[in-house]
Amino acid sequence: MVVRAAYLPGIDPADIDWKTLRFDNAGCAVDVEVPALGKDEMKALAARIRQARQENLLPRPVGEIVDIVDRAVARLLDREDPLRRKAEELLPLVTGYDAEMVRLGLTRYLKTFRKPELMRFLAEDFTNPTILDGFQPLAKGGMGRACGPPILAHIWAGNVPALPVWSFVAGLLVKAGNIGKVPSAEPLFAGWFAQAVAEAEPDLAHCFAIVWWQGGDEERENALLREADTLLAYGGNESLEAIRSRLPMTTRYLPYGHKVGFGVVASSALDTKRGPRIARLAAKDVVQYDQQGCYSPHLFFVERGGRVDPREFGRLMANELSNFAQKYPRRALSVAEAGSVARWRQSAEMKSFSVNDNEILGDAAGAWSVAYEDAPTDLVPSGLNRTVTIVAVDRLDEITDLVSPYRDVLQTAGVAATPEELYALSDVLGIAGVTRICALGHMTAPEAGWHHDGRFNLLDLVTMTEIERSSEIAADDLAPYRD
Amino acid sequence: MDFLNSVVLVTGASRGIGAAIARAFAAEGASLAVNYLQNTVSAEETVGACAEAGGDAAAFQADVTDAPAVEQMVQDVLDTWGRIDVLVNNAFRPYVFDPKNRKLFQDTVWQDYQTQMDGALRSVHATCRAVLPAMKKRTAGSIINMVTDLVVRPTVPYHDYATAKAALTGFSRTLAADLGPLGIRVNCVAPGLVYPTDASRATGEDVKDMIETATPLGRIARPEDVTGPVLFLASDWSRFMTGQTLFVDGGLVMN
Repeated sequence: MVVRAAYLPGIDPADIDWKTLRFDNAGCAVDVEVPALGKDEMKALAARIRQARQENLLPRPVGEIVDIVDRAVARLLDREDPLRRKAEELLPLVTGYDAEMVRLGLTRYLKTFRKPELMRFLAEDFTNPTILDGFQPLAKGGMGRACGPPILAHIWAGNVPALPVWSFVAGLLVKAGNIGKVPSAEPLFAGWFAQAVAEAEPDLAHCFAIVWWQGGDEERENALLREADTLLAYGGNESLEAIRSRLPMTTRYLPYGHKVGFGVVASSALDTKRGPRIARLAAKDVVQYDQQGCYSPHLFFVERGGRVDPREFGRLMANELSNFAQKYPRRALSVAEAGSVARWRQSAEMKSFSVNDNEILGDAAGAWSVAYEDAPTDLVPSGLNRTVTIVAVDRLDEITDLVSPYRDVLQTAGVAATPEELYALSDVLGIAGVTRICALGHMTAPEAGWHHDGRFNLLDLVTMTEIERSSEIAADDLAPYRD
Repeated sequence: MDFLNSVVLVTGASRGIGAAIARAFAAEGASLAVNYLQNTVSAEETVGACAEAGGDAAAFQADVTDAPAVEQMVQDVLDTWGRIDVLVNNAFRPYVFDPKNRKLFQDTVWQDYQTQMDGALRSVHATCRAVLPAMKKRTAGSIINMVTDLVVRPTVPYHDYATAKAALTGFSRTLAADLGPLGIRVNCVAPGLVYPTDASRATGEDVKDMIETATPLGRIARPEDVTGPVLFLASDWSRFMTGQTLFVDGGLVMN
């Protein structure tokens, strides 16, 4: 099977080079053709997008853009729609994720982009979202208008299906011209989303493009870096650092690096009725997209003193992971991924030789592993792909010291605790650097309007133009109606 | 367990649970008669999967509610392999397990019950009658009827479907009593919700979550989970069991 990725308005596919990425998961091969634009083609594309954005996106009220995105998302939620059917068929083959997991994940994710959620997204960052349409009164006096960049470039990473939609939608809402570079691991969805938006409003068809180049191809990357007014990039710190070094000084840069999520289970949640249910929710967070998300948990701190003790909690989680392995089988791992799992297991096993009370559950050749640590342990990344550590703690307040040295990689904490414990814990975790606290079972599904890595998704993209009060007064003095 | 030289007829075996059962028997060396109604392509896929798993297999088209067609099919199977050791009555009338759009009792007319009775009971009546002469001749045979745990625990009240399967349970026990002296055993396997199958595709996540939460083993059956108990009841390991129902639902029903 051969499919074409990307979205390139105004370019005849016959005029450009295409490369083929071969995906072979579960014995079903798919060839995805991706475009390799030359630097002149990229420059011309950016110029056209800049102009189309100026003419068709900028004058459009943000409320209309919300409606357009809503229509596009409604299509992608409709299981009978040809684009959605294509997504359900191809994404499991390309990413290797279980088809059911992809289907449910897509719906759960895309429904956070319906109109009410988009309005929430806007309201989170702008008291009055029409500030994106024209000058509005400011609290300090004067008037202000928020404007997105002419060209917002995105460099996406990873293989979690549809993840690019977040920043793409953010770009559309602030009326930026968007050029997104898809990762080789999942090159398809962003192009389909662009197509859905263009079909929802053909006037916007030339305001964005989805491109590709092989990771590490600096020449092609530089072509986009030169065109970007603002750049959003996702990936490992090393590649983000490399991009920074090649970015013109005047380009605004918003990098999103790797994160390590963790869970906290208070003893108050570990009675005999709730304990097994919470273990199931925790396992669900581990299983969804095999811990490939920045919000995925690597480790769970479990407080002693409940009817279900931390070790038992680990065993319950192990059983749930075993059940999930049947329900949503893990995808086939690459050699590097399998190596990372093996190294993680080896280190956990070594530790269990020296610390008698530690244990490791799950077969080395199996699709999941749980390491139990009987003594407090720092936040260390897991081997990914359904490997998780359970760390027993005597009291919840021990956790802060264990995670705060890793401030740079903190983001999501899934918490099961009483309201009192939740707020006390949130206070200290927030200071330590955690930016998102949610219930277990929700770690991989941030709510609409969340602040990714604690940042303002839309505000970070705009510049404010202010008409100061003095200029209003001065203008008044020049008005034809002055006395 | 080994079904080498055994001939197994599975009705409705082109897809879902039936296909999984056929594959499992084939993996133990059995010769598989894969019955199907209309989906020739799927039936041939099952035949291919059986061959790949190590068994001999062939597809036999027949509407199991049509007694003469069933007799002809059984004759064809006997002409092919000369015997039938195991009959698995898995076929049923198409039914959509959709908890949100199921028929309420007041909307369930007698014809709905009749349709399901025909699918569950009339078909089994026809297949049992057709295979009995061959089984009696050898005073051996195992008949396994697929029912449902809804008979004892109507998690979702699918009136017509569950009633017909309850009738099939009674039918099976009575037949077991009658055929026991002839060395022929009759048992039932009662799965809970099995996912994914074409019939259960409409069952929503909320209901699946609800069932998983109430199930001691914490998940929903896959078609492959049902095969073990069927093979057990077909084998000599269960030689002193007849008239029984094995529940395969992760402990949701215990009795």
